[in-house]
Amino acid sequence: MSRDEMRELQGEKLKKIVAHAYRNSPFYKKRFDEHGVHPDDIRTIDDIVKMPFTEKQDLRDNYPFGMICVPMNEILRLHASSGTTGKPIVVGYTAKDLDNWSEAVARCLTAFGLGRDDMIQISYGYGLFTGGLGAHDGVQKIGGTVIPTSSGNTRKQIQLMEDFGSTAVACTPSYALYMAEEIRKQGINIKSLKLKVGIFGAEPWTNAMRRELEEKLNIKAYDIYGLTEISGPGVGGECKCQNGTHLWEDLYYPEIIDPVTLRTVETGQEGELVFTTLDKWGMPMIRYRTRDLTYLDYDKCECGRTAVRMGKILGRSDDMMIIRGVNVFPSQVESILLEFPEYEPYFLIEVGRINNTDTFDIQVEVKPEFYTDQVNELVRLRQRLISRIQSVIGIQPNIKIVQPNTIERSTGKAKRAIDYRKFN
Amino acid sequence: MLIRQISVFLENKKGKFAEIARLLGNANINMKAFTVSETEDFGIARIIVERAQIDRAFNLIKANSYAVTMTQVVYLECGDYPGAMANVLERLAAADISVEYMYAFADSRSEFSRVIIRPDKTELANQIVQEI
Repeated sequence: MSRDEMRELQGEKLKKIVAHAYRNSPFYKKRFDEHGVHPDDIRTIDDIVKMPFTEKQDLRDNYPFGMICVPMNEILRLHASSGTTGKPIVVGYTAKDLDNWSEAVARCLTAFGLGRDDMIQISYGYGLFTGGLGAHDGVQKIGGTVIPTSSGNTRKQIQLMEDFGSTAVACTPSYALYMAEEIRKQGINIKSLKLKVGIFGAEPWTNAMRRELEEKLNIKAYDIYGLTEISGPGVGGECKCQNGTHLWEDLYYPEIIDPVTLRTVETGQEGELVFTTLDKWGMPMIRYRTRDLTYLDYDKCECGRTAVRMGKILGRSDDMMIIRGVNVFPSQVESILLEFPEYEPYFLIEVGRINNTDTFDIQVEVKPEFYTDQVNELVRLRQRLISRIQSVIGIQPNIKIVQPNTIERSTGKAKRAIDYRKFN
Repeated sequence: MLIRQISVFLENKKGKFAEIARLLGNANINMKAFTVSETEDFGIARIIVERAQIDRAFNLIKANSYAVTMTQVVYLECGDYPGAMANVLERLAAADISVEYMYAFADSRSEFSRVIIRPDKTELANQIVQEI
């Protein structure tokens, strides 16, 4: 589909979904009215910028069913997020929504090279979490065989993988690493398994992790992206090129905004990802702010797909700090550290204020094999990191090299920045 | 001769070297010599212990989450009289050897001073000091 045709389709769908939300949701009607915008103002997809944003807090405030836009008897299924930072958020799906969602997952699986001959082990949790059932429906859509193991009980997962001959496994990349370790411990020759594809998502992961997973499990490891608010896994997925995550933009319209000014950024620039669900009727999301930081690439992919590609998730906009007037994201520090083979990818940013000037300290660890008896080499190594951060972020940090294993390791939710400043 | 030296990275915090010294002390390992180089932000302690204890010392420090490395250094017993060190260093310089760092400790019961040299060309430096 050409870009123009896609935009036309997106415009048509946007008009309908905005009208539906306005008519059937007191929340959206009030929000649109306050913002001075009416569904009649939407003629093309470009008009989307006239609409107000929706945020996670809106879902919490309207817990449990306040944002559902159809009679409850049209809702076939409910899912909810874990709610580690407050009340859970609840989403409801109509028959059509579930069908569109499984279509999106099916497109991802097809892009991974999977089809009706595959046996796909779903090791995402089944339940309120969207991962298990979302992947499940997608596998059925492509006519593959579902092995619904859900998460946990690693020994059994591995046994079934051997006995059934699973050709693909869907789980979080960190669980996949754990499984790989267990397989190694049990002395199973990985080449004796039929596994060829990993369907990994629900948490951010790096290319270094991809290489490790591909090597240890003898597979191709693909990213599947999604979030409960938008429908669940399958909002986008990588293709064989492993060069960006294709977003199914006829279903989920992506925008990138500046998280500070809230204006749309120029194509290709980094910013916060915003989605509008173009064909989701139970609980439409209009300009939902994901807080994920990334960029979009509209060039046609080498695989032949024209669907826009999303870059790696660079971090979360709610982690942003303003230090000496400059916007700093912990993820920037992380990606710089990954450029240096000498440093571990772990760090802790500490921000304070002395004599009305912000201090910007970063604790880092040097990998054990790069320590030396010579002071000068460490001084140079430290200086190279300082210069690199200064040139990327624009302010000079104070790098504190600390002893091995002193920085917290847990993935995903590790505390990566502490702000000691008092602003009141 | 060549001997092995332990180097420990020290964070810029009070009492860091004390922790190492206590660790070795509790394990009944005696430091024969040491030197600490420091910058504004960190230090490196270089330590010589008895040959029979060095592996135990290294593993003990490593097991306690310190960054520790083992380096070969040149050990020599240098005459304890004026100009003795100059003789050694001139020979090294003549062979185009740079000294990264060195430290010495005198022993009043002996006619020698004990010197540790960390040259850039370890083997060559060792040969030269053997000839002296």
